[in-house]
Amino acid sequence: MWQFIQICVGGAIVGSIYAVIALGFSLVFRVTGAINLSQGGFAIVAAMISHTLGVQFGWPLPAAIPSAVALTVCLGLVLGKFTFVPALQRLSNANVLMLTAGLLTMIEGFVLVVWGSQPYALPPFSGEAPLVLGPIRIATQAFWVFGATSLCFAGLWFLVIRTKLGRALRACAENPDAARLMGIDVSRMTLLSFGLATLIAAIAGVTVAPVTTLQFDTGSLFTISGFIAAVIGGISSFPGAIVGGLFLGLATHLATAYVSSLFSTAIALLVLLGVLVLRPNGFLQSPLKGRQDNKEPARSHGFIGQPRAGVAQISACLALVIALILPMVISDNGILSGIVIAGILFLALMGLDVLMGYAGQVSLGQAGFMAIGGYTAGYLSINYDLPPVAGIFVGIVLSILCALVLSIVTLRLRGLYLALATLTFGLLIDSCAVGFIDLTGGPSGLVGIPSFSVAGYEFSSPQSMYYVVLGIDIVVLVALFGAMRAGFGRALKAIRTDQLAAAALGVNVLRYKLVAFLISAALASLSGSLYAFFFNFLSPEMVGTARSLEFVAMLVIGGEGTLLGSLCGGLLLTMLPTIFQPLAIYKTFVSGALLVGSFLYLPEGLFGAAMRLVVRFSKRKRHEPGPSGKAWADLTP
Amino acid sequence: MSLQSISHGEQVPVLSVRGLTKTFGGVTAIDDVSFDVPLGSVTALIGPNGAGKTTIFNLISNIFSCDRGEVFFQGRRLNGMKSVDIATLGLIRTFQSARVFAGMTALEDVMVGSHRLTSHHGGSQVLWLPQARREERRIRARAREMLELVGLSRFEDMHAAELPMGVQKLLEVTRALMAHPTLLCLDEPAAGLNPRESAELNNLLLAIRDQNAISILLIEHDMSVVMEISDHVVVLDYGVKIADGAPREIRDNPKVIAAYLGVADQDVAKVEAEVGL
Repeated sequence: MWQFIQICVGGAIVGSIYAVIALGFSLVFRVTGAINLSQGGFAIVAAMISHTLGVQFGWPLPAAIPSAVALTVCLGLVLGKFTFVPALQRLSNANVLMLTAGLLTMIEGFVLVVWGSQPYALPPFSGEAPLVLGPIRIATQAFWVFGATSLCFAGLWFLVIRTKLGRALRACAENPDAARLMGIDVSRMTLLSFGLATLIAAIAGVTVAPVTTLQFDTGSLFTISGFIAAVIGGISSFPGAIVGGLFLGLATHLATAYVSSLFSTAIALLVLLGVLVLRPNGFLQSPLKGRQDNKEPARSHGFIGQPRAGVAQISACLALVIALILPMVISDNGILSGIVIAGILFLALMGLDVLMGYAGQVSLGQAGFMAIGGYTAGYLSINYDLPPVAGIFVGIVLSILCALVLSIVTLRLRGLYLALATLTFGLLIDSCAVGFIDLTGGPSGLVGIPSFSVAGYEFSSPQSMYYVVLGIDIVVLVALFGAMRAGFGRALKAIRTDQLAAAALGVNVLRYKLVAFLISAALASLSGSLYAFFFNFLSPEMVGTARSLEFVAMLVIGGEGTLLGSLCGGLLLTMLPTIFQPLAIYKTFVSGALLVGSFLYLPEGLFGAAMRLVVRFSKRKRHEPGPSGKAWADLTP
Repeated sequence: MSLQSISHGEQVPVLSVRGLTKTFGGVTAIDDVSFDVPLGSVTALIGPNGAGKTTIFNLISNIFSCDRGEVFFQGRRLNGMKSVDIATLGLIRTFQSARVFAGMTALEDVMVGSHRLTSHHGGSQVLWLPQARREERRIRARAREMLELVGLSRFEDMHAAELPMGVQKLLEVTRALMAHPTLLCLDEPAAGLNPRESAELNNLLLAIRDQNAISILLIEHDMSVVMEISDHVVVLDYGVKIADGAPREIRDNPKVIAAYLGVADQDVAKVEAEVGL
């Protein structure tokens, strides 16, 4: 019994932190209708700064902690001003969510560069000695955590419900255009909400720092847990955030204590998926129903056009020749391996492009299918001597089955709920990969996976694997190109822009979404199997959520809806750290920054922008000043 | 039924709406509305703002489900069917605000219209087999013809979403025609068109009607357009059908004039005298 209470106290401490982060989600969502995933990152930044000031510089804690919070808020305001606010005006809410995922990656990369990868802990605010109540011992820091949570909740509630400023904030949430007409500076309100969210995240970060150890990637954990808590409670409800956070904290702690520490996350995630299916608006529904759909129509979509047939065919032949002779030119095995890895990831990226670029369905859990494919093929070939090709096939079948089950949840969801459901799936697979030690080797990974082989011939060198991957890439690419330029691709693009209008023309929206989802799952699985065969090893972090986010970054940087674009993004992010070895520590930061930059300044991606130039150039040659829409408008009276 | 009096009455109507009722909260948006769309006709659905015209479209295409009443399309009951299946049957609608597909050329946008007519052999598309290529060529050629017919050929290669609003509206009509509908439901196709585009649209609708291939149900505000192209008019006011008949009868109906001018029935004569009717 006492032990139970002790566990509950621990759960409540962690839950309070989730609750505070969830409050930040809730606030930004209420004001902008978008999800800001970068909050967990700010919590870590604040904790790191206060550690530097308090421990390394020897400042007294009462000075170090407020300074750290203030510095973090300044950083937040600057980032918000130049990324989040302009993004809200240009991008759909689902894309804003990805952009903030990029911000989170960027912040984590920044922390990695400045503070390294070792964990830090602050001294407790009021001494090490815990409060002893009979058999229960409560760290005094717990009271600081509870106090900070209550303060944040009360302060936010007062601000939003009781003040004139709060009314303006709520007006922005209800209808930004009308609010603008009433003289409310919507951009400033957006920035204010972003800053406030940063403030409470920073407070959460510094108060929790003494009771847990923090390192650069703890930010993701905070963000994901806070996001889950916010959705469980009801995303636009402040009390919901508190309830959701405490529930999540208690559930994971109790699961860890009484079931298994390895499955505690899995249990929380299953709860979340259950909530998404049964009560998509959360435990405490708020009056702001349907808020997320207000800005659902995508505002910008890259339009590239098609180059002249000749141009495309000549470039394709040229690219093929270069691809064929490349391994003979490159003598450095490291670089060649990098290219092979990019080629393997390209398979998963093409699948993601069909799903995200063409059908417009956000997925943050693509690496989950990669894990299924990789572990299945690896396990079967180690333990049952199954030939790799058969292992790959079994992995694909298994992935498609998982995708079918998951689609029961995802097909009905859109925008941020879809992002959340796929993220949850990725995390679930992640925790299974860590938990099922007998099957996957647990955290240390699955070792001794053989190289890829067909009929006794083993492809163990990067050179031989290069040609295998090249062959598979070309087959998949050509097949998808065919489908994407025919009716299938057109139907997907129609769904991406306007599901209602697509259905009105007889496009079966659910069926097409499902097919796109299955294609992406199968390709991710194939990619995962090849990945495992190439490395002869697979560990959970190689196919974890960070990988899913990296996929999104690669796709967006390269260009969505172009199939080939993701290869550019994949090559860029894979090759940069290989070529510039000493700069590898900057990789996380750079990939985050590139993702944010692409969303803001190059929405059609690197490849898309290049294609656009080619198209413009080749079009101009054919018929001189083609009639433009503007000219037509001028002609008419 | 007043319908039986009009010329197409002896044929089986392509669409027939019976006792349609829909309430939103406590407000009755559509109250016991019945009308027919005779085969091969242009039927106009008119009424003041908020009369419930678009709601009727949404009920027919089952974007909302009705509280009471039935809708029959070529004798098939549509209640409870999905929007997709209704479209597949050949009842194609457009929307009040143009809904073109972003990221496509005007030509591709029109090609989406052919979706319900094409065979869906995903496999042959993936492998880009001759059969899929032939079908693709055929669709492309037909989409070009349709654009030619509507006079939009010059926009073929341009980004659909960046075209002027008037062109987008015409494009949406073209896309609907591409689906080769049995019944084409147009929700204010002329709204947002300039006089020239509007005239082009009228010519197009008249051409369609003259070929007698497609029946049209049309929501329209501009009475001159209604009088020129429709041969059957249904008038709604506050969700209730107040008149149903040939354009000429409708023009002289005091209830209709009252609804449009917003006066009580007994004052109509006075108002008419004042405005010189």
